[in-house]
Amino acid sequence: MTKRIVLSLAVGFLFLAGLLPLLLLLIQSVSEEGRLTFDAYRDLLFTKNQWILLGRSLVLAGLCALVSTVTGTTLGLILGKTDLPWRRTFTVLYALPLFVPPYIMAVSWFHILGREGLVRGLLGPTVAAVTSDWLLGLPGCVWILSSIFSPLVMLLTLAFIRGIPPRLEEAGRIVASWTGVLRHVTIPMILPAVMLSALLVFILTLGEFGVPHFLRYHVFPVEFFTQFAAFYDFRAATVMAMPLIGLTLMALAFERLCLRKKTYIIQSIGHGQRRLVIPLNRSRRVGILILVGTLSFMWTVLPLLTLLFESLSSSAYPRAWTLAGHSLMRSLVYSAIAATVLTMLGLLTGYLVHDRSFRFWMFLDSIILFLFALPGSVLGIGLILLWNRPVTQAVYASPMILLLGLVAKYAALTHRISVSTLEQIPASMEEAACMAGARWLRRFRQILIPLARPGLIVAWLTAFIFCMRDTELAMLVYPPGCDTLPVRTFTLMANGSSDLIAALCMIMVLGTLIPLGLLSLAMKGCWGGHVEYPISIRP
Amino acid sequence: MKREINIALFCVFLALAWTGCAKRDRPPVREVVVYASVDQVFSEPILRDFEKETGIKVRAVFDTEEAKSTGVMNRLIAEKGNPQADVFWANEPIRAEVLKQKGIADIYRSPQAEAIPEIYRDPEGYWTGFSARARVLVVNKQIQDPPTTIHAYTDPKWKGQGLIANPLFGTTTVHIAALFSKWGDEKAMAFMASMKTNAVGVSTSNGESADFVASGRYAFSLVDSDDAVSRMRQGKSIEMVYPDQGPDEPGCLIVPNAVVLIKGARHPDNARKLIDYLLSPETERKLAFADCAQIPLHSGVEIPKEMKALEAIKVMRIDYARVAETLQAIQPYLKEWVGL
Repeated sequence: MTKRIVLSLAVGFLFLAGLLPLLLLLIQSVSEEGRLTFDAYRDLLFTKNQWILLGRSLVLAGLCALVSTVTGTTLGLILGKTDLPWRRTFTVLYALPLFVPPYIMAVSWFHILGREGLVRGLLGPTVAAVTSDWLLGLPGCVWILSSIFSPLVMLLTLAFIRGIPPRLEEAGRIVASWTGVLRHVTIPMILPAVMLSALLVFILTLGEFGVPHFLRYHVFPVEFFTQFAAFYDFRAATVMAMPLIGLTLMALAFERLCLRKKTYIIQSIGHGQRRLVIPLNRSRRVGILILVGTLSFMWTVLPLLTLLFESLSSSAYPRAWTLAGHSLMRSLVYSAIAATVLTMLGLLTGYLVHDRSFRFWMFLDSIILFLFALPGSVLGIGLILLWNRPVTQAVYASPMILLLGLVAKYAALTHRISVSTLEQIPASMEEAACMAGARWLRRFRQILIPLARPGLIVAWLTAFIFCMRDTELAMLVYPPGCDTLPVRTFTLMANGSSDLIAALCMIMVLGTLIPLGLLSLAMKGCWGGHVEYPISIRP
Repeated sequence: MKREINIALFCVFLALAWTGCAKRDRPPVREVVVYASVDQVFSEPILRDFEKETGIKVRAVFDTEEAKSTGVMNRLIAEKGNPQADVFWANEPIRAEVLKQKGIADIYRSPQAEAIPEIYRDPEGYWTGFSARARVLVVNKQIQDPPTTIHAYTDPKWKGQGLIANPLFGTTTVHIAALFSKWGDEKAMAFMASMKTNAVGVSTSNGESADFVASGRYAFSLVDSDDAVSRMRQGKSIEMVYPDQGPDEPGCLIVPNAVVLIKGARHPDNARKLIDYLLSPETERKLAFADCAQIPLHSGVEIPKEMKALEAIKVMRIDYARVAETLQAIQPYLKEWVGL
């Protein structure tokens, strides 16, 4: 009974935060002056140009998902399984682009590869013209978005690698080389994380408007932007979001198909257990180090260094702090609260899907991803239409409305990470507690939460990062006078001096990195407290 | 047990942090809520000065021209049933007209508006214009015999050398709608078709157009005067030409800011004080000397030397309300023209 009440409350909260605003918009999209009409949908289906744009979006999202998944998984394996030096430093370096709103990275790359950029000074105008043409189009979009989303794949891979029991790899090493163990043990074990991250990158790229717009590569999101910006037509904008959501559901079905009939019962590493590390010989170590170092320089150091140099004027940081200090504090508080709510909610909905507690588990799973795929501006309008009423003024006029929006938008992250985490916990643990007479709440609190702790920390960190960088949704629902740092940076970018903008970006990176660093220090023991060292077992 | 205590303490911390936020967010007695689509770097200092001078707290929601004011306009429309804003400071009068047509604007005739020419005011008092920008041609300095008319866009001499910002958005839409309203559909559509034939480039914004012209990729572009002045102040290789100033030519389009009182405003008195403040000659002087270099609509206001006073410019005579209607009618055509 308690289980049903708690899970129903979680579903109810999600319903209020995300589903109800969406339903309101969907109803509006099929009604005009009190009558049912599908005109807007018909117009969409019969316009050739929109299908072309949709195709371009699909190509961009597919390429980004492919590049990010291959690169992120490889990096995760290198940084999580080998004894490469400076692994932690590389992990942090690669993760940095994830902390910055994508359009800022695009601006930074424009300063490097544009016709007037760094390349012109170093290699001349002819090379700059070539790099600029390359940047302004599909290759530039794939390059920048992959550099931003690969860290997500890398971090999820790293988190899942930590959950692989050493005994499986040890057994594999008795009969096979490390290549064989990676192929037949490690990679299959982390496959749910790889598929999940590929799905997330696909959805994130599909809805991305800022980077393709800045790089003049027309994609489908430009359609609903046009409906908003030129026509102020909420109905058409909602309709325009539907194909993106359809593609998301197809990607979800593909993910389910790939993971069908596969079970991943993995035990968490206990205290005292040692994780196996692949020892690299000298030549491989140097080779991989050069490869990883070069990529991190190109993807992270170069664009962030450009921003850093741009920000190094005497007055930029004091001005940026005066203008945006309060916004940073607000961003930190809102994101911490939203990430905490999201982690709790994600664990409950993740449990519901994992346990199939309700018949509608598959619907819930789909609807959460549906909300993730929904453009932030569409969700924002839905929230305004639902909550901006005199009776709910206390919610709408406070940061609560932003919290509701963030929860609805990013529930997929914590929910899916929780599902994957719970899949790694053997059902026998909960069953044993049940046999011993422990009630559900106690089992949940004392068995599942402690075992899922590493996954929950990853979920919290992921949610925190995404809430910190959210611009599109926050832009529409932040209470007057209470903007967040990404919103303030975005609004100051228009005609603001470049050193000020660069300083704001650096403050944003540090503002995200410092609390994350402090948290990971405080939570160091939560990963299992094991000692890792390279071991070498010859078959 | 220790873990539970830690979790409880963390929750208490979050709750306190939230309460702290909420306390700051609680509206003080004297406040005004303004939504601004004028770039924050230009509008925020003016609003801070208003706060200092009146003691009325300003709570603002900002947007940018670059983002085509998507945020504030859609917020204002979605909030119609329960408005949160008291004042809308628009970067051009067409958005103000849209609000009037959607029943979101209220009437207010500010005493400060009396000295502003009638053409820049809504006859019914729903919006009032102030501090304008001119739609000018920005021309690369290397160009010999630079164009002086917007017809250069259709002149084969300039084939492939003209650039225009996306006409679906912002002041460029206003400009095209003004041409449709002045010339009629047939002539305006022929002009647009000729632009396509003459390989006119399309950029994402006026700022980008000015940058492309400065870098030499294009010879000229129609932009807002503030985009031209800011690049000239940065020492870029461009000059500003007020187009169509000849005796038989239509003149230069003037795009003023517009301020609107929102219907059902929660702080109407403070809203009127802010509107009076924005429409004052002193605010116009500040906006003229700021980097946005806007032209005062009050006569006799001091301006920087690189700007022309309104009286020295041959102005295109248009009815902004009619332009707003035309704009909505031609949007599907413009969408097709752009290729979306």
